[in-house]
Amino acid sequence: MADNKVIICCKCKKELIPKKVYFKYLGHSFFTDILKCPDCGEVFIPEELVKGRMAEVEMQLEDK
Amino acid sequence: MSIPKIIRSTYSVCPVCLSRIPAQHVEIGSNVYLQKKCVQHGFFSSVIWRSKTPIGEWIGDTPRIKKNENLNCPKACGICPEHRQGTCCVLLEVTSRCNLRCKYCFADSRNTDDPSLKQVQAWLRQLAVPGKTLVQLSGGEPTVRDDLPEIISSAKEAGCRYVQLNSNGIRLAEDKEFVRKLAEAGLSFVFMQFDGTNDEINRKLRGVDLLALKKQAIENCAAYNIGVTLVPTMVPGVNTDNIGELLRFAIAESPAVRGVHFQPVSYFGRIPERPVDEVRYTLDELIYDIEVQTKGQIKAKNLIPSRCDHPLCGFHGDFVVMPHGIEPLSGKYTSKGDCCGSEPVSADKNRAFVARRWERQVQEQESHSCCSKPDIHDMDYFLKRVKSHGFTITAMAFQDAGNMDLERLRRCSLHVFDNGRFVPFCAYYLTGWDMT
Repeated sequence: MADNKVIICCKCKKELIPKKVYFKYLGHSFFTDILKCPDCGEVFIPEELVKGRMAEVEMQLEDK
Repeated sequence: MSIPKIIRSTYSVCPVCLSRIPAQHVEIGSNVYLQKKCVQHGFFSSVIWRSKTPIGEWIGDTPRIKKNENLNCPKACGICPEHRQGTCCVLLEVTSRCNLRCKYCFADSRNTDDPSLKQVQAWLRQLAVPGKTLVQLSGGEPTVRDDLPEIISSAKEAGCRYVQLNSNGIRLAEDKEFVRKLAEAGLSFVFMQFDGTNDEINRKLRGVDLLALKKQAIENCAAYNIGVTLVPTMVPGVNTDNIGELLRFAIAESPAVRGVHFQPVSYFGRIPERPVDEVRYTLDELIYDIEVQTKGQIKAKNLIPSRCDHPLCGFHGDFVVMPHGIEPLSGKYTSKGDCCGSEPVSADKNRAFVARRWERQVQEQESHSCCSKPDIHDMDYFLKRVKSHGFTITAMAFQDAGNMDLERLRRCSLHVFDNGRFVPFCAYYLTGWDMT
């Protein structure tokens, strides 16, 4: 996600705003701020989060 | 009186002549025994499980050894095409000398001449798979060699990714300059013999007071960012009631201490007498005692069966030490069909996991949450904290002539390097009971 890019919810046509969002993985839950639609709650998960910190969490939690 | 029930068939060895013979897991009451009969030397029975957890649940669907499988095991060991696991860790004996004379010792130090540095370097070149190998420098007591730093740097030059030192910690405590040299040479982490939190235990098992030295060794290693994993040999009636205290000590020493690796006593090498069932400590008892003695802070469900080695060979638990206590990472999630985690894990994956926890990060800092109170659910905080304060509770139950189970042996991933051969640990150190 480019820093200043405005992202619009495709359903509600509202601008997504940064919100604390929880993720669940292997029985654990984590939160981080990501863009979320203020109306319907749709979130935008940028590729760098998926390939970066989320992948790292996954690696740390996976049993050997 | 309970009726004995055969619950599993396998193969073992006669404890006297070490011939390969059929064996059974036999359930009698709440205990499970490995029982076998040698035509020449008679009947033998060793307790292997005390059913604090049902053994069937723990083993899961691990394949049984069939009649026509692993026929040369363990006599012709060397890893052969029938061996079912790769090499996770390679153990290399760099000396047979030792500065202790312990009551129990698998290596049974002989105080013979050390192999030359040149010879050790040649072995390291032979055993290393560049970028992968985790080599454990063992003995005897490796730190009695003044050229240990050269051995470590040679291991790194040969391509070993991780160099582990198995040590009793005495020299690490007494010679800080030596620790600095080990660190500079590229030592990754230390497995340090640590049998308990009081010297009564040390006197019983090692003959001398050692606690102050052990604490100093941890401090000296911490000064050079070398992670230390504590390795207690668990002997019933000696230190099995010290588990809770030992874990509390280890957790308080995090991040310098990276974990505790329990080793229930096994009866090979130098042992005081032939083992009876009362002197055996089974994995399920250990797990039970961990939960009881930590007052539930560490739960049995967070300690899961080994999937790299055979489930009866060990367990692992993955944790992160928080400012207020310890949080489990492993065993929180179970999916149907994977309840026992019996799907084997490769030696490569296992090695990456353990090394990630046992090695201290170079740029390690006390991690703080963005919030006032550290919150493990904060993704950024978790990622920092798990790297700095990851903590493992693991166990390895070595086998001896009494409880040797070839179904287990063929899954072994800890291999001793001996002149070009990789030999599963328990096959290498296997000794018959008539040690006259």
